[in-house]
Amino acid sequence: MTRESHPTYLLDRTRLHDSHTLDVHRKNDGYRALETILKEGHSPEQVIDLIKNSGLRGRGGAGFPTGLKWSFMPDANKDRRARYLVVNADESEPGTCKDRVLMEEDPHGLIEGILIGCYAMRIRAAYIYVRGEYRFAYDRVAAAIEEARRANLLGKNILGSTFSCEIWMHKGAGAYICGEETGLMESLEGKRGHPRPKPPFPAGFGLWGQPTTVNNVETLFNVPFILDRGAEWYQSMGTENSPGNILIAISGHVERPGVFEVPLGISAREVLEDCAGGVWKGRRLKAWIPGGSSTGFLPASEIGLAMDHESLKNARSMLGTGAMIILDETACTVRSMEILSRFYEHESCGQCSQCREGTQWLTQILHRIENGQGRMEDLDLLSSLASGMAPGKTICALADAAAIPTHSLVRHFRDELEEHVRRGCCPVPSSPGPAAAPPRSPSVEVKA
Amino acid sequence: MTRITINGKEVEADPKKPLITACHEHAAQVPMYCYHPGLTPVGSCRICQVELQQGEIPPRIVVACRTPVAEGMVVNTETPQAHDARRQCLEFLLKNHPLDCPICDKAGECDLQDYSFSEGQAEGRSVEPRRKLEKRKNLGDVIVLDQERCILCSRCVRFFEDVTKKPQLTVSGLGSRSVISTFMDRPLTGNYQGNVADICPVGALTLSGFRFQARVWNLDKHLSTCGECSRGCSITVEVLRRKEVKRLRPHFNEEVNKWWMCDHGRFSYARLNAEDRLQGATLHQDGVPHPVDRETGIAAVVDMLRVHSGAYILISPWMTVEEGEQALAFCHALASPPRLLAPPTNDLKDDLLHTGEAAPNRRGLEGQGFQTQSRDDALSALAAAECAVLIGERITEILGVEALAELSNSIRLIIFDTHALQVSATNVCIGIPNAAERTGTWINVDGHAGRIAAAKPAPPGVASLTRSLEEIRAALAPVAGEVGS
Repeated sequence: MTRESHPTYLLDRTRLHDSHTLDVHRKNDGYRALETILKEGHSPEQVIDLIKNSGLRGRGGAGFPTGLKWSFMPDANKDRRARYLVVNADESEPGTCKDRVLMEEDPHGLIEGILIGCYAMRIRAAYIYVRGEYRFAYDRVAAAIEEARRANLLGKNILGSTFSCEIWMHKGAGAYICGEETGLMESLEGKRGHPRPKPPFPAGFGLWGQPTTVNNVETLFNVPFILDRGAEWYQSMGTENSPGNILIAISGHVERPGVFEVPLGISAREVLEDCAGGVWKGRRLKAWIPGGSSTGFLPASEIGLAMDHESLKNARSMLGTGAMIILDETACTVRSMEILSRFYEHESCGQCSQCREGTQWLTQILHRIENGQGRMEDLDLLSSLASGMAPGKTICALADAAAIPTHSLVRHFRDELEEHVRRGCCPVPSSPGPAAAPPRSPSVEVKA
Repeated sequence: MTRITINGKEVEADPKKPLITACHEHAAQVPMYCYHPGLTPVGSCRICQVELQQGEIPPRIVVACRTPVAEGMVVNTETPQAHDARRQCLEFLLKNHPLDCPICDKAGECDLQDYSFSEGQAEGRSVEPRRKLEKRKNLGDVIVLDQERCILCSRCVRFFEDVTKKPQLTVSGLGSRSVISTFMDRPLTGNYQGNVADICPVGALTLSGFRFQARVWNLDKHLSTCGECSRGCSITVEVLRRKEVKRLRPHFNEEVNKWWMCDHGRFSYARLNAEDRLQGATLHQDGVPHPVDRETGIAAVVDMLRVHSGAYILISPWMTVEEGEQALAFCHALASPPRLLAPPTNDLKDDLLHTGEAAPNRRGLEGQGFQTQSRDDALSALAAAECAVLIGERITEILGVEALAELSNSIRLIIFDTHALQVSATNVCIGIPNAAERTGTWINVDGHAGRIAAAKPAPPGVASLTRSLEEIRAALAPVAGEVGS
């Protein structure tokens, strides 16, 4: 199966000139789903049922069924509190850049998805939390919101109906942890992005303590298509449990890095070879990460795995955000893991003991091994520490995100770790040897 | 009440309180660092992990401090899984902890030390360098922060948010670079700073006044009541070698002060250790004190009161109810109206504990029949009196040594206080024990009784006020009878 051989919808419009404008968007079926719902008077419950039947699963990493999530919102007739939709556009998982393409090239698609989501959950205000570095995406979405408002697609009595909805935007300030939904809400409230313990869940106690649903950009982007073309159409793509298409951002040692639309369940080999043009310079594949740095390393032998939630779960990994990272034979997995681990150490919010101390400890051990000061017992220590950090032992999943790749490294690349220890240096010739930056353990300057 | 099962025992639990409370109430040992019953639970230290089974869901590990109690819950604190989870968490907490227990003021009452002792591994697995941070950072005059010892439980942060409602501390920095700090390094302010040293589960926040003063296991702790205002907070008086009060700390009292006390009360112990105490008694002649033993002093008082019946008697609001009873009998014996000197007021009144009325037992003594008299009224009465008896701790201090110095020499002034009063009007001073040297009861502003305890011995030659007054009354009794007949 190649890029051309399977049906696409997510990125179709983005290939058009001026795809970000309302004009082009509407000429290409944009806002048709919203119009139909409002004109024909579909009930919110019908919309939720349709999304449930379609089997759409969240694209933010966890793959939770979207329709089910929406149905968790309390009954608006009984619960009179304000309610919010929060769009998680704080795309910061290393390797991930799919939402950026959607926001930059087809912002109206996102807006329509938000409006339908708000309609379904009887929400009148939505917030888009955009990663701070995505200035261009932010500007594009902000401009699209203005356009939509002028065209009465947003604001009071949308398209002459009784449905009113407003969208607000917020720029993140660069913290990975603010991509975690409760950390994101804290940040949106103007506080430090410290994830909240769950329960209570956002549907009952979310933004400013009100019922809230948090959805990923790509998830909402799928919604208008499902409304427009039906659940059956949606299920004709992908697998039984993971229907639809997904955007895969592939990076690393590949010929043609980028964001590609593929049906869920496609084999990773196909993505690598057909979409990304194979491993860079025809080199041998050594390791690959299936869905963003938190999903861990898989060996080259598993490149035939299907890119869907179940298959990757069985391989003790995750589909995550569908961000594939390819490492060829010249890469050192230990050094790669050290870099990832340093990222998690840097981004841990510091609330939970295991995550705060564990991410630092893992980084220190990996740094030692990569720099020839590893001990054989460090290998088991790495696994043991990762087991102490996760799963489910901390408030949010950042500790899991650091522990999963650590486990995967010890599981699949134990030989390479041992070789580091035996040789007393990094055995991969092109690996730059001592890591560029020393581990940053002394964190605050000691005043005399 | 909700029925749950803790370690195989079916118990009743309060559904409004987190699971950890039920565990503690039913003798299940669950450690805690970030959780404090007086603060909003945040569930961040993760040390209170227990195994929970609810309905059909297979057993899982949860933090007891953030888990609400629900009907039918089965909680197990002792399974290998629960132990492992806590042990692993402890290992992470100790990873960067300096383990400078030998010089740590918290050693001996440190939650981290205690739990490491009972559950920790004998050998550390970390060979990494420990975090180097600031070891002594003054957060104002009261609190010293040791950033290396801090386990970032955020109890101190929440204390200022939840209890004083004036947030002053925060966690700054991210992840392993987190430290406790004040905004722009401003010093802490307010009358409740000392509490953060009590609630700090490790030795990160210590009282600057208690630093390197004593090993806590050498302190004898006596449950008592603070006498610095009419709140009467329950406290422990902690004494080193039966001699010196080293520390006053709040003791949990649901009705009065919960877990807290103010700094004004906390640091009042210097007074309890005062050196220049009156031992026995002094007889004054032409303004010069002559030390004598207590019995001689009592005899002099008796002689004087035989001549001057109907003396003006004024007692201090620091007197206990028990002393008040004796003083009342004393007043009756001398046919003098029982008068109580009004407590001094200060501007420390707040919504939390301090009442602004700087004495502990006005309510109790008024209840016994003493008439409160303002300082001004008392001084004018003294100026007119022929003979006056001033009784109780701090009475000369409230009246003012300067004001008393202005009294004419013609007055016969008898004083029962912890210190001798060297003014020309003084005739006899009898030493009495201070608040850390006697037992008794104070009634606080809301009517709650607070016991005070004798935490250390009184100076040599000093007997209880009750005994001295009783002896005088007994000596006067036949005379009083003659007067009455």
